[in-house]
Amino acid sequence: MARPLWSGSLSFGLVNVPVALFSAVRDVDLHFNQLHEKDGARIDTRRFCSEEEREIPLAEIGHAYDLDDDKTVIVTDDELDALAPRKTRTIDIEAFVEVAAIDPLYFDHPYFLAPTGESEGPRRAYRLLLEVMRDSERVALGRFVMRAKEYLVTIGVRDDRMALTTMRFGDELRPSKDIDSGGKKPPKQQLEQAVALVEALATEWDPSAWRDCYRARLEDVIERERKGRRIKAPEAQEEPTPVPDLMAALERSLAEASGKERPSRRDGDLAQLSREELYERAQKEDVPGRSSMSKDELVKALRG
Amino acid sequence: MPRKPRSLWNGSITVGVIVVPVKLYTAVESKTVHFREVHLADEAKVEHRRFCSAEDSEVPYEEVVRGFDLGDGEYVVLEKEEIAAAAGDRSHVVALEQFVETARIDPVFYEKTYYLGAGDGGGDAYRLLHDALAATERAGLGRFTFHDREYLAAVRPLDGVLALHTMRFADELVSGDEIEFDDAGRAPAKREVEMAGKLVASLSEDFDPAKLKDEYRETVLDFIERKAAGKKPKPPKERPAEETPDLMAALEASLKGGS
Repeated sequence: MARPLWSGSLSFGLVNVPVALFSAVRDVDLHFNQLHEKDGARIDTRRFCSEEEREIPLAEIGHAYDLDDDKTVIVTDDELDALAPRKTRTIDIEAFVEVAAIDPLYFDHPYFLAPTGESEGPRRAYRLLLEVMRDSERVALGRFVMRAKEYLVTIGVRDDRMALTTMRFGDELRPSKDIDSGGKKPPKQQLEQAVALVEALATEWDPSAWRDCYRARLEDVIERERKGRRIKAPEAQEEPTPVPDLMAALERSLAEASGKERPSRRDGDLAQLSREELYERAQKEDVPGRSSMSKDELVKALRG
Repeated sequence: MPRKPRSLWNGSITVGVIVVPVKLYTAVESKTVHFREVHLADEAKVEHRRFCSAEDSEVPYEEVVRGFDLGDGEYVVLEKEEIAAAAGDRSHVVALEQFVETARIDPVFYEKTYYLGAGDGGGDAYRLLHDALAATERAGLGRFTFHDREYLAAVRPLDGVLALHTMRFADELVSGDEIEFDDAGRAPAKREVEMAGKLVASLSEDFDPAKLKDEYRETVLDFIERKAAGKKPKPPKERPAEETPDLMAALEASLKGGS
């Protein structure tokens, strides 16, 4: 198991449960380094004083904050360090709130909490918390300090583990009242048609059905470049224009949605697809070596 | 001082042949205090300049390429354009392909949230999509290209408008099984579970985000103001924590309001 990002204890009334914190999200992004094209050497970033035209060490850098009245305050690293919340080793649970009352837009980053310590007591306390929270419609609301920053968090149960999620503060959410909420209430018949269209395209939420195509395309670009080949940018689709007659568009969309077997990708019609379409399917199904395959090879691999 | 929000992206949401012109806005804005870097000696701006580590000379942006590290110091070099090309379809359209029950989506999948406002000439279609999603309690799913990368996006009604969430992919999420945990030993006794349940009930409150302040941000801003006025800041306080030896006794003491 990965190294914990933080460890300490979860404090619940007078009960303290020793826990370790792990991220519930892994970084699967492809990362690039900046290189100098000519010699392939790494690019370094150096800090220069714009007045003196000379490189300056980190120790000579201050942090400026502009106040409303044109005044600027310069803060040093030492001063910022002194302001950092004192490292505490506890996550203090302040209250329990109904999870349904928290809109998901408050949630920031998800983590898991695992029990630590060799003795049985702490593990039992962890299980007790798990048991109590599992079927509860409430989550704990608390605060803790990690890497010199204080976080507001909720703690509940996910996947049979205690799960901690960092939260946004209320004043970080923009009000929606300045957003243009569109025209008038639609006529009843139009709404019924739209509802029917949504229902026709309704499916079960299946997160594993969605792949990160961006990542897959980047992997392919890397693969091609490794073999010294170039890639063309995908052609943009034509921009659609709003339809003047909503009702007619609804009827057409509904007819298409209900007449179509979705997803209509069975073996028989594979040969009729373009290489691009086949390639996209191969990406979805993660066919190995797809980037260098011909159309026929792709059909074969997809049928296989 | 309510400013008119500026849109980050203009495009359209499509469902079948229905086109809903929309504008994308920030819904969540970090209020973390940000500073500018300055040179302490003369308070001049600090500039970040790119240098070639081999030549020890400044490199113009045009000469910078992206290298994917294969390990052993070997790189596959990509042009910026090649990386941008991988972003996908740039036609500013989010085609909603599926509609799923919003309640079924574990919030852990939501990454960033934006508001969608009605775009020019599309007010009626916008309202229709909003009302149809509200009536069916469903969210529309589609692919969304933004800032040189493609995302999975969920569109759902929120607060009278439409919200767009970029979504995490399933393989980005760690499952509970990956968090090892020694389950051996005695399960908590029924009485302990009951007591802990009572403790939860006694600490129950309504969720009131306005009450929850970012104390660190307030400390930093307070310090800045004090410094501007030539005063000294005050240090923060600390609390100790200890392990509980007797679970039952701790639960009882907590319930008596001993904390």
